[in-house]
Amino acid sequence: MRTPRTSTYDGIKLTARRELVERTMRDRSFLISTLITLVILVAIIFVPKLFGSDDPEEFDVGLVGAASQPLGQALTAQGEAAGVRIRTRQPATAAEAEAAVRDDSLDLAVVDGRELVAKDEVDEQLNLLVQAASGAVRAQQTLQEAGVEPGQIQAALAPPPLPVRSLEPVDEDARSKRTIATVAVFLLYGQLIGYCFAVSMGVVEEKSTRVVEVLLATVRPVQLLAGKIIGIGLVGLFQLAVIGAVGLVVAVASNAITLPPDAAGTIGSVLLWFLLGYAFYSSMFAVAGAIVSRQEELQNTAAPLNLLMIASFFVAFSSSVGGGDSTLAKVSSFLPPVAPLVMPVRIAGGDAALWEIGLSLVIMLVSTVAVVVLAARLYEGAILRTGARVKLRDAWRGARRQPVPGRA
Amino acid sequence: MARGREAGGRKVLELQGLSRRYGDVVALEDLSFTVREGQMFGFVGPNGAGKTTTMRIVLGVLQADRGEVRWRGRPVDAETRRRFGYMPEERGLYPKMRVRDQLEYFARLHGLPAGDAANAAGYWIERLGVAERAGDRVEQLSLGNQQRVQLAAALVHNPEVLVLDEPFSGLDPVGVDVLAEVLADRANDGIPVIFSSHQLELVERLCEAVAIINHGRLVAAGPVEELRAGGGERRWQVEVADAAGDWVAGLDGVTVLEKHNGRLVLAIEGDEQRVLDAARSAGRVTLFSAVQPTLAQLFRQAVQE
Repeated sequence: MRTPRTSTYDGIKLTARRELVERTMRDRSFLISTLITLVILVAIIFVPKLFGSDDPEEFDVGLVGAASQPLGQALTAQGEAAGVRIRTRQPATAAEAEAAVRDDSLDLAVVDGRELVAKDEVDEQLNLLVQAASGAVRAQQTLQEAGVEPGQIQAALAPPPLPVRSLEPVDEDARSKRTIATVAVFLLYGQLIGYCFAVSMGVVEEKSTRVVEVLLATVRPVQLLAGKIIGIGLVGLFQLAVIGAVGLVVAVASNAITLPPDAAGTIGSVLLWFLLGYAFYSSMFAVAGAIVSRQEELQNTAAPLNLLMIASFFVAFSSSVGGGDSTLAKVSSFLPPVAPLVMPVRIAGGDAALWEIGLSLVIMLVSTVAVVVLAARLYEGAILRTGARVKLRDAWRGARRQPVPGRA
Repeated sequence: MARGREAGGRKVLELQGLSRRYGDVVALEDLSFTVREGQMFGFVGPNGAGKTTTMRIVLGVLQADRGEVRWRGRPVDAETRRRFGYMPEERGLYPKMRVRDQLEYFARLHGLPAGDAANAAGYWIERLGVAERAGDRVEQLSLGNQQRVQLAAALVHNPEVLVLDEPFSGLDPVGVDVLAEVLADRANDGIPVIFSSHQLELVERLCEAVAIINHGRLVAAGPVEELRAGGGERRWQVEVADAAGDWVAGLDGVTVLEKHNGRLVLAIEGDEQRVLDAARSAGRVTLFSAVQPTLAQLFRQAVQE
């Protein structure tokens, strides 16, 4: 015969490849959705910078009158020590200084070394710095008047800073890691819900158009399901990798974050958890598609899964913002529906212990295998039943009726 | 059309005692019939009779609870089925996939290597006259063209059997002719072509054999000519000019089925010559001929019983 044997592997490969080709090369919306996601991502990176344009790390201080002048040097020095840049200038009169404060060209004015003039509430940090500088100047003058040696004054007023001994290692990159983790939650959630939904819509499409009958004459339901999930998953993984890579390059180039040394590990764990979460959810979404006959009905059957995913997202988001040490974050690391969103955040933030990662992975893998096996059977039992929505119990029974022998 | 193989072809596809239930609903009960090599085989029955279920079982899309399908004397397995061509009722195509991509994909699923799949897709696109639309998405095509693509999808792997569920529904007369021609052509190559249809005149015109099913059970099966010749009682139409009274009334085993403008349609049990004699003695016989029931009549009769 001219038709060579088609193995299980070929069946999965062909169906998976169709999903890949049709959803990337043949569908312009893939490119569009990738670009939109990138735009949103870049916006997330840049928006804080835009809103922070009135840079709080820079202050303009006016020094009015001779008595205020000694403050200038001390203030600049204090500012430098605190990582704040303070520029000083000398308005001629108090009235001029007040006008400058009023139109925001000065943040604060020191009048005759006795009074601080602010527009309304003074910036807390600036206030502290000015008060400290004022104290230092006053102390210096007092000591000078008391005849203390300049060297001694220097030693008394500007002692070498006290060294700090941290009890736990300091993570210099914590902020960057946290940013990556937060962005990762959004991306993971978006990819998971988007591509899982694509699986269920693809299943309904095949069912409602009866293509599935033609397909099942050549491949087994499990092959078809596996091919679809793998194909769509690869598209999602590819898109996630592209978006992640571009986002990271943009973020680093714009100094929004500094690349932590273990960035590759962080990104790797995000991709790994995408795969785990996708495997867990997508097969259930496939069942949601298999039990209905029209796209409109899908909203209803997919709703519980959507809710589960949204709830997981909020748990993960709260741990990315509030820290991954909370009890909620720790517990949810071991709950399969939530873990794929929470774990990468905790890993990225450096909050997860190695044993936690390991245990979470094992629980996730075992439950994913269980869910996939269950889902494959429900899918098989429901995929050919058109008409009314198939009850899960009927789908379960329907699959069992099919004897396995004779279906290669 | 593809007549002339009435007794010729070997029995190649055998359905033996197929039964299938959906929950408590009996979809098929002990259904058996055979299809010969190169035979155009019509599969008819009212809606919900079990035609689609039967076809799905033949294609292995569904499993029978009992019974089996045999191809050339051996139970059909997945490998054999890969050489079957199937067209499900309505659609059966990806709406958003391009015509050529789609046909190549189906060919590859049926086991053709990439190069052969591309050639086969190209051939059938030409043959069925959709070459200009080969790069379009299926949903952009007219219904008639979609049906042609569907047929191409069933044919693209050069199948040894064709099983088509309602292939003619929704086609205009030209489309019907194109499809009929292609199917007859396949049958002439020795391929059994089984199709279901509600258009009984069409089935009668195209098919040399039919199976009629109702409520999941076989009602009648065999060559169309035989069924028509032997279907139920034999019917005769008789016209007697200047008939004296009701000459039929006293005859045993004769029933008047119709009476129209002096023409009678009679069901006659046994010898019809005695009836002719009676007619001749009653008046001048201007018409006395056997009437074969149409497939439609056989169908109605079968379904009503």
